[in-house]
Amino acid sequence: MNLAAGFFLAFVLLGLFGAALSAMVPDRRVPATLAWTASLASVTLLVASGLVLAHGVGFELPLMHLPVLGALGIGMDRLSALFLLVTGLVFAPASMSSAGYLGRYLGRYSLRLYGVLFHLLLVTTALTLAGSDLVTFLFNWRLMSVLCLLLVGFEHGETEHVDAGFLLLSMTEAGVLTAALGVLFLGGLGASGLDFASLRAVAPGVGSTARWAIFLLTFFGFSMKAGLIPGSSWLPRAHPVAPAPVSMILSGAILNLGVYGIVRVNLDLLPVRWVGQGLIVLIAGSLTAIIGILYATIEPDMKRMLAHSSIENMGLVAVGLGAGMVFLASHMPVLAAMGFVVAFYHMTNHSLYKSLLFLGAGGVDMRLGTRDMDRMGGLLRRMPYTGLFFLVGALSIAALPPLNGFVSEWLTLQTLLQSTALASTGVKVAFALCGALLALTVALALTCFVKAFGMSFLGMPRSEGVERVRELPRSMLWPMGLLAAGCLALGLGPTFVIPALDTVVAPLAHGSVTEELVPPFFTLGTSGDARYSGRFVRDFHRIGAQVGRGVIPGRGLVVLHPGGPRNPVVFAMSTAYTAVVLLLLLGSLYLVVRWSTRRRKVRRAAVWAGGLHHLSPDMTYTATGFSNPVRVVFEGIFRPAISEDTRESARGYFRTALTRRQMEPFALDRLFLRPVVGCARWAAARAARPHQSGRVNSYTAAVLLTLLIVLVIAGITM
Amino acid sequence: MSKWILRGLATGVKTTRYPRRHDGTPGISPGLPETGTELVFPEAAGAAAAVCPAGALEAEGGRLGADPRRCIHCMRCAWGSHAVPWNGGYEWARWAAESSSAKLAGAFGRSVHLRIVDAGGCDACLSEVTQLNNPYYNMHRLGFFVTPSPRHADVLLVVGPVTTHMRRPLLEAYGAMPGPRRVIAVGSCALTGGLFGPSFTASGGVAEVLPVDVEVPGCPPPPLAILHALLLLTGRGGEAEQVPEPGKGAAR
Amino acid sequence: MTEPASHAMHDQALQREAAGRWGAAVRISHPADGALEISPNPEVLSEVCGWLFHERGYALATVVAQERAQAWRLLYLFWGGPPAWVRVRIEMPLDRTSLPTIADRVHAADWHEREIEDLFGLSFVGHPRLGDFVLHEEWAEGTNPMRRSFDASRPPAAGSAGEPRWRPGRVVHAAGAFMMPVGPVFSGAAQASHFLLETIGEEVLRTIPRLFYKYRGVEKLAEGRTVDRAVLIAERFTGTSAVAHAWAFCRAVETIAGVTVPRRAELLRAAFAEFERFRHHLAAIAGIVHSTGMTVASSQADLLVEEALRSAGAAVGHRYLFGQVVPGGMYRDWRKDQLDELCRTVESLARRLDTLSRMFRFSSSFLDRLEQVGIVGRGQAEDFGLVGPVARGSGVEADLRTMLPYGSYRELLRVEGHVEQEGDGYARLRVLIAEAQESARLIRKAVARLEPGPVRVEIPAVPGEAIGWCEAPRGATFHWVRLDGDGRVARYRLTTPSFTNWHGFHLAAERFAFQDFPIIMATFGLSTAEGDR
Repeated sequence: MNLAAGFFLAFVLLGLFGAALSAMVPDRRVPATLAWTASLASVTLLVASGLVLAHGVGFELPLMHLPVLGALGIGMDRLSALFLLVTGLVFAPASMSSAGYLGRYLGRYSLRLYGVLFHLLLVTTALTLAGSDLVTFLFNWRLMSVLCLLLVGFEHGETEHVDAGFLLLSMTEAGVLTAALGVLFLGGLGASGLDFASLRAVAPGVGSTARWAIFLLTFFGFSMKAGLIPGSSWLPRAHPVAPAPVSMILSGAILNLGVYGIVRVNLDLLPVRWVGQGLIVLIAGSLTAIIGILYATIEPDMKRMLAHSSIENMGLVAVGLGAGMVFLASHMPVLAAMGFVVAFYHMTNHSLYKSLLFLGAGGVDMRLGTRDMDRMGGLLRRMPYTGLFFLVGALSIAALPPLNGFVSEWLTLQTLLQSTALASTGVKVAFALCGALLALTVALALTCFVKAFGMSFLGMPRSEGVERVRELPRSMLWPMGLLAAGCLALGLGPTFVIPALDTVVAPLAHGSVTEELVPPFFTLGTSGDARYSGRFVRDFHRIGAQVGRGVIPGRGLVVLHPGGPRNPVVFAMSTAYTAVVLLLLLGSLYLVVRWSTRRRKVRRAAVWAGGLHHLSPDMTYTATGFSNPVRVVFEGIFRPAISEDTRESARGYFRTALTRRQMEPFALDRLFLRPVVGCARWAAARAARPHQSGRVNSYTAAVLLTLLIVLVIAGITM
Repeated sequence: MSKWILRGLATGVKTTRYPRRHDGTPGISPGLPETGTELVFPEAAGAAAAVCPAGALEAEGGRLGADPRRCIHCMRCAWGSHAVPWNGGYEWARWAAESSSAKLAGAFGRSVHLRIVDAGGCDACLSEVTQLNNPYYNMHRLGFFVTPSPRHADVLLVVGPVTTHMRRPLLEAYGAMPGPRRVIAVGSCALTGGLFGPSFTASGGVAEVLPVDVEVPGCPPPPLAILHALLLLTGRGGEAEQVPEPGKGAAR
Repeated sequence: MTEPASHAMHDQALQREAAGRWGAAVRISHPADGALEISPNPEVLSEVCGWLFHERGYALATVVAQERAQAWRLLYLFWGGPPAWVRVRIEMPLDRTSLPTIADRVHAADWHEREIEDLFGLSFVGHPRLGDFVLHEEWAEGTNPMRRSFDASRPPAAGSAGEPRWRPGRVVHAAGAFMMPVGPVFSGAAQASHFLLETIGEEVLRTIPRLFYKYRGVEKLAEGRTVDRAVLIAERFTGTSAVAHAWAFCRAVETIAGVTVPRRAELLRAAFAEFERFRHHLAAIAGIVHSTGMTVASSQADLLVEEALRSAGAAVGHRYLFGQVVPGGMYRDWRKDQLDELCRTVESLARRLDTLSRMFRFSSSFLDRLEQVGIVGRGQAEDFGLVGPVARGSGVEADLRTMLPYGSYRELLRVEGHVEQEGDGYARLRVLIAEAQESARLIRKAVARLEPGPVRVEIPAVPGEAIGWCEAPRGATFHWVRLDGDGRVARYRLTTPSFTNWHGFHLAAERFAFQDFPIIMATFGLSTAEGDR
């Protein structure tokens, strides 16, 4: 048993101990207790997964052997270690922030229950990822799903919350059952058991129809959990209503499980073989991204806006995965590795900044009592640190350099541009279209988060509550600070992150991208590498790339196009360089302004409002108003339902009120959820009613009939 | 679209040569009563001054003094038994007596941005200010622009007697301008309150509210008089004076 | 049947109907000026006015409040007919300060009542929206400047203590709705006025105008002045339609004095008034073109405006025709060659306007901005009593030159009215163009009919009261004047087309894209100087 396994076991025990402890301490003690035990557990998890990633040595802990199902156990390879690491990265700050956040429920809801559920969620999430066989995986998955339901519906006094929880449970359950069916199908093709190793062993012999069936079942099944289309409807309902730490976890850690499922089955157990499979993932990802960001942009509810944005980011992850799969199927291992690295990079980034933003939004909700951005404004004055950290998160998610969102989104776009290497024109066109959608998505994301930050933290307060708001407690600011630092670190250090992710990806893609993307530029002599012409390296040194040596950490730059004999142009970027230049520019600009105005007498005048003496808050833009152009331009997608009610005085033209309600139902509710539910209802009514006779013996007959059918089928297959 | 461009070209150049040359086109100015007119019957000076409803005429011995700041162009003194001669000029702008500001000469003087405030004018002054943009006067050619934001404005151009309700917006606009800033009062209402001030609704001129630098008399002052004020403010006012013009100089 | 006989018959019909409906609650009389005067009890005031307005087709000219020595006297003046004028008269003791509203039936009276409430302190029971109208927050509560006790020579009220704060009445309730403030100081050369555009972004659902930034108290300032001084105020409170307002004022004074203005003066007045209309419409057209951002076309229109101003300056001596119309006639006469020169210029300008308007009709980018923008329906225009080119764009003629002919319009000059039905910005533009052409024709006709003769008669100082009206460039204007014994103005009530039409402006400024706001403003072509007074 290696060190990592020891830490992992310690983590499980710590988690269970925390759950037990939470059940015993009084309610008011729960927040502090939970913060300590759960973050300690998360850190242990981080250490365990970090060890596996660093040394590249996994572990297997067999638990038992069941007859038909085969060996059960837990273990960790690099893939699961990566996901566990991200889980730990999200759980640690979520646990810490619980200390400050949970106070609002004290006396209204049972915090002990929350403590128990929270710890159990941590453990089951980790065990889902660490399960090395289908049974452990599914068992923990479903436990985790139920725990999610309970935590989302934690404020069980609110119908909306409970409904959202049930929708979450039913949709993700439907998804995982579909996916499980796919994996069982694979198992049914002659595997000795349901452990991953046995499944992997049967993979090469699977026929093409079965491959397609398994791919479709597992991809669409797991994508339900990841929030990809068409099954994203639960996400914008469930994420906003959960307590802030749970929202962080749902978006930052639980969504990743869907990605894990897809990757585990379709890259590890039964790797994709056809370009078409990758294209499905790619297109589903692009459409998800654009739908997600469109709804995020027009959403005035801060947390629901973040939830829609999670859909968008999961779409971006899927785009990277899909591109990688296409390259993999086209036998381009290096480019495939690039796609997967980019996908995992983006997933990690999303987990960090989305947790940060959810924590900030939850904090604002806690202090202000509303999530409606139309009623915010001017929060920066009252909550400067929250505002600062939220700004870092917003800049990251809006993909601005030198933060982490920029790196991964830029690389995603660059990956799509690599489609020039592909042979088929049709696929190239698909890549180009997806690239265009992605570019639109990124631009809208910028709009969306300018709105999110500008309308809530800047400007004039648009409700009285804002004047009374206080800064968040330290127990919430610290986690936000750590997450913001993480965003900055992942942004500045792609030259470290890419090689690390490459070790995870290499076994899946059968290729490595480190040498391509982050060549050791600083150690490259002027004579150069075989891949770079000597002239290029000389030129590069001449323009000062070596200046960064010693300042810029790691191997130097991220190189997208090494240039060739026909096209000696090199595309490269370095967020570290950008950051240094940005700091220098801003600093010198500040100094120049200070110097040139040193003798100026400054007269401060009020905001110019067309000569109006009092600019009142209701004369400033609201979040809805800011995003309304998007609503108007994409009306065909939003299909808004508008109802207006005009009230006039008894006679004539004295209009006293014009009430207008505008609703934009989620497009996927309209296109997917409602038809499915409608069909199910119809089918249930048609199929079941004739048999609902109310006589006991007819039900008994039905049960017997079913049993008979099952036995017959079993007999045939055996 | 092309037909508009062709039409524009076919129209040719309409722009006045002022300030390089004096513009003597009929109808560009209503003129002002000459000051210091010697009367044929000096004893009738009082009666002649009483003709003026705005109090712009004053008997000084046998002569009739005219205060252009008060003249409302009713032309009642131009006809009848005690007719006062009128001149047809337009270079009427003068530095305000109270102004202590310097000219906006040098680098600032070649690109001056205006902010126009209607502080209760009758629309005639505003209409004449608007005419500065038409092809006949085209103030852009001399580097004068109307700016959309007071933050970029150098000059505040005020018309009207400053009504009670416009007092604060006017002060707001002035306060929103960065230094160096100058104020031009346009029209007799803006100089003296005209027919409307001082009263219960209007002040007796912009100077009661803001420090005025250049004054343009007239009811309304013709566009070239306003242009003259801008040139005076930027130290370019004297250029046309080399050319002799009929009846120049309605002194204060 | 002779004309007076037909009048008498209509009079009797009205009288019978009123008596039949309200019996003793109304008293009907026939003053010497030929109008029908109805004095209802306050309880039936609204019904009587509503009956006149809706059933008998009368339009509201103005509401005159007077604080007489012994009593309040309110006159609601309706025109239409025959008989052309019906006066509804209310008298009440000075210690009573409230009377029933008529705005519930006659919406056109809405702003008149609000104004009287602000300036006289009379309140109108049943009016849903009183207060904060003419007098803004700068004025202390309870100040009523039109009361006799108020001293008009007092300098403006100093900024009151504390920070006065105006709360606009918001109408739109929707998630994320807010108000976009525009003005009172605009970015270009624009008149002072303030608008709050209620929007949820992009589409503006409703506009709240706030006017009277330029309230100069013209009605109060005129009080106590002799008529030849007061006429200066009448022509200078709105410089872009000086002749029309001076004419309307003079007509009221001449009616009181009972003098007949010489034929030559009447023709000259008509010629100048039509020239003013021509120049005003040219400027309005230029404003519309400018608002749509057509640079060359707007320069072309600007040329016409400046040339019209110059021709007035050259022929008459004043670019805005100030100082020409005085009580009793014209201030001076003009030589034939001067007037002929004016006619020639007008003719050439009219030809060029015709060319431009034909080019507009084929500029689709221009029409796109005007069509279906700022629509006012015919019913709305009637209920609000809109006047001028705005009303004529919506199918309501409301032209005093043809409907209540005055001066030389009675027989010498026949006006061909032009009415459009659509009620949008383009309809208003077409009305402006057609009227400008018609004015150009009328100027030439008026000058051609001039015969030598006097242009002015003396006005004796006679006490009395009368209404004078005129079709100003922006529409019907009504000047009601009461003179005291020594010929000074005792009460001056001034109802202008801009005041009337601003009342209906919000109808057009509803549900439009924000960038259309300047276009709607330009096609309405209103003046705040004229409206605020």
